[in-house]
Amino acid sequence: MSRREGSLENPQADSSISPLPHLEAKIRQTHSLARLLTKYAEQLLQEYVQHQGDPFGLPGFSPPRLPVAGLSSPAPGHAGLPAPERLRLDAAALSALPPLLDVVRRHQAELNPRAPRLLRRLEDAARQARALGAAVEAVLAALGAEPREPRPEPAAAAAAAAAATATATDAGVFPAKVLGLRVCGLYREWVSRTEGDLGQLVPGGPA
Amino acid sequence: TPSGRSGPFGTAHSAPQAIPHCTELLQASCGAPDRPSSLTPDTAVISPQDPTLLIGSSLQATCSVHGDPPGATAEGLYWTLNGRRLAPELSRVLNASTLALALANLNGSRQQSGDNLVCHARDGSILAGSCLYVGLPPEKPFNISCWSKNMKDLTCRWTPGAHGETFLHTNYSLKYKLRWYGQDNTCEEYHTVGPHSCHIPKDLALFTPYEIWVEATNRLGSARSDVLTLDILDVVTTDPPPDVHVSRVGGLEDQLSVRWVSPPALKDFLFQAKYQIRYRVEDSVDWKVVDDVSNQTSCRLAGLKPGTVYFVQVRCNPFGIYGSKKAGIWSEWSHPTAASTPRSERPGPGGGACEPRGGEPSSGPVRRELKQFLGWLKKHAYCSNLSFRLYDQWRAWMQKTHKTRNQEGVLTSSSAGASPERSPAQTAPVPPSAAAGPPGVGKEQGAYHGWQRPSPALPHRPGREALKHPGRQPRPESQGAVLCTGGVWDSVYRGSWGAPSGQALE
Repeated sequence: MSRREGSLENPQADSSISPLPHLEAKIRQTHSLARLLTKYAEQLLQEYVQHQGDPFGLPGFSPPRLPVAGLSSPAPGHAGLPAPERLRLDAAALSALPPLLDVVRRHQAELNPRAPRLLRRLEDAARQARALGAAVEAVLAALGAEPREPRPEPAAAAAAAAAATATATDAGVFPAKVLGLRVCGLYREWVSRTEGDLGQLVPGGPA
Repeated sequence: TPSGRSGPFGTAHSAPQAIPHCTELLQASCGAPDRPSSLTPDTAVISPQDPTLLIGSSLQATCSVHGDPPGATAEGLYWTLNGRRLAPELSRVLNASTLALALANLNGSRQQSGDNLVCHARDGSILAGSCLYVGLPPEKPFNISCWSKNMKDLTCRWTPGAHGETFLHTNYSLKYKLRWYGQDNTCEEYHTVGPHSCHIPKDLALFTPYEIWVEATNRLGSARSDVLTLDILDVVTTDPPPDVHVSRVGGLEDQLSVRWVSPPALKDFLFQAKYQIRYRVEDSVDWKVVDDVSNQTSCRLAGLKPGTVYFVQVRCNPFGIYGSKKAGIWSEWSHPTAASTPRSERPGPGGGACEPRGGEPSSGPVRRELKQFLGWLKKHAYCSNLSFRLYDQWRAWMQKTHKTRNQEGVLTSSSAGASPERSPAQTAPVPPSAAAGPPGVGKEQGAYHGWQRPSPALPHRPGREALKHPGRQPRPESQGAVLCTGGVWDSVYRGSWGAPSGQALE
């Protein structure tokens, strides 16, 4: 199958490739999932700031967008990368998010124990990030592209996140709130980025 | 280190620099060319960090800028609390690197996660933050009530002291122990029937008292409720009666029959159930409650409006379980069941269904009706087994013959009377003012305000024994009457048999 950056074409070109209709269906499904999770991520962020109190919910509030545990926002040049590279970065970010979301949920369980909806959304977000990450990796595998770097073991990722917990807690409640805001923001950015990257692969989508 | 403006959160305007204190959280980003900031607690810090304070108290806080770069100064720093900038007069520069804040008469925290007190650099960037917890210690919880569903569990709820508003997260813990022995146990399933409730699902002993109390704790202290002592058997409730059916009683326009099944969960235990029925007209919010429906599973509502939809509910109180002398706890009401009373298709003088029938009095007091019935019975009935069915038959007969009555209300004889042996004879109606019914019968209101055993002067007939007069005072405000029977006419609570349209029986 010949590959053009950001699109699939000519499904009849190479009959030895796994059936393209299946791949296309997989891409569509994953794209739909990403679109749904983008909405959920937005709701999570709104719920989160609401429970932290002002200034977290105020329009002018913008603490520095700190990278967290090796996870940064999508780089400005992300959109210009080849599709498999973009998807690899998406998958890597999505796999790094669940332990961080768990950390934030534990913080919030202490800070906002009477906010069950927030806690549930954080728990769901961790699970959904895992699911989307796995789906993106399945698409990558179907495209014949392997992740460039091995994913960190879940235990190691959880340990790093636990260290983040201790750090944030030691620094005080306010830094823990800011950390949670950053993590929720990263979650939203990466699921939205994933949606965009998959959208370019959907047949009939923009090249 | 970042520029002098940086604090724990750096600044978007700082030039990228090496970060001397990278926490594990940020390890991968250290030295990133476009990420100058880091969580560096010793760049600026607020003291006290996350304090807990009583409402009305004061706070003295400081924001201290530490370390590099040189020139970092407290000048230009300012405070915000929950996003609102604090008045400059509340702040003062203590020294070159420290800005102080004095707040007095603090209000309760706006959110559970704490009020956000933030120290800002001159350009508005965040240098440090601290969360304030301002509230009250908990007051003693009170009003603990518990109930057991079918003797299998225990659910308790309570009222928090101080109406629950401490402005701080307050943890409530329900504790229980056997009174005479055993250790303290803690309930684990909270919020089962509201925010201040807990459910103990199993491992409860019967025939022995428990002690139950609630402990409330928050950052400012703790409080404990009084101890409630109870035996599970004394607080038993059950599910609502299942299978509640409401149906018409033949063509009787003012009656509905209610039947239900006793709760099956307690069927193996010796107890007598009490029931309550409540009913209302479809478009009304006012329920009428019928008390003391003792140990029966059927009841008849009478005196209802014809052609009207009624909603009916039943609930159960199990008492006397295992010989307990205490009443149980009323179950929830059953799901509403609806039924409508029939309306006969009798055209009025103008052909309209709602016009009063000619020749009928404008109201049909029970008193007059029952007096007539008794008079009729006395003369014409010989009933070995006087039953409500017999009364229904008489009423049906009365409805049929009302058309032939003249203004004096003369009854027409009919062979459709209930007596198997005699026909009802003509009986002149007795004006209400000259009522001569059973003793204790009320007068002009047309309602029975007391129903006593008939005078001994009345001849004894086998059927009369079936007439039981509980002597209970009915509720004068209740509409309609209730006949709760197992086939025997038990009691009549009140008159006012019928709709204002005058469809009362004569």
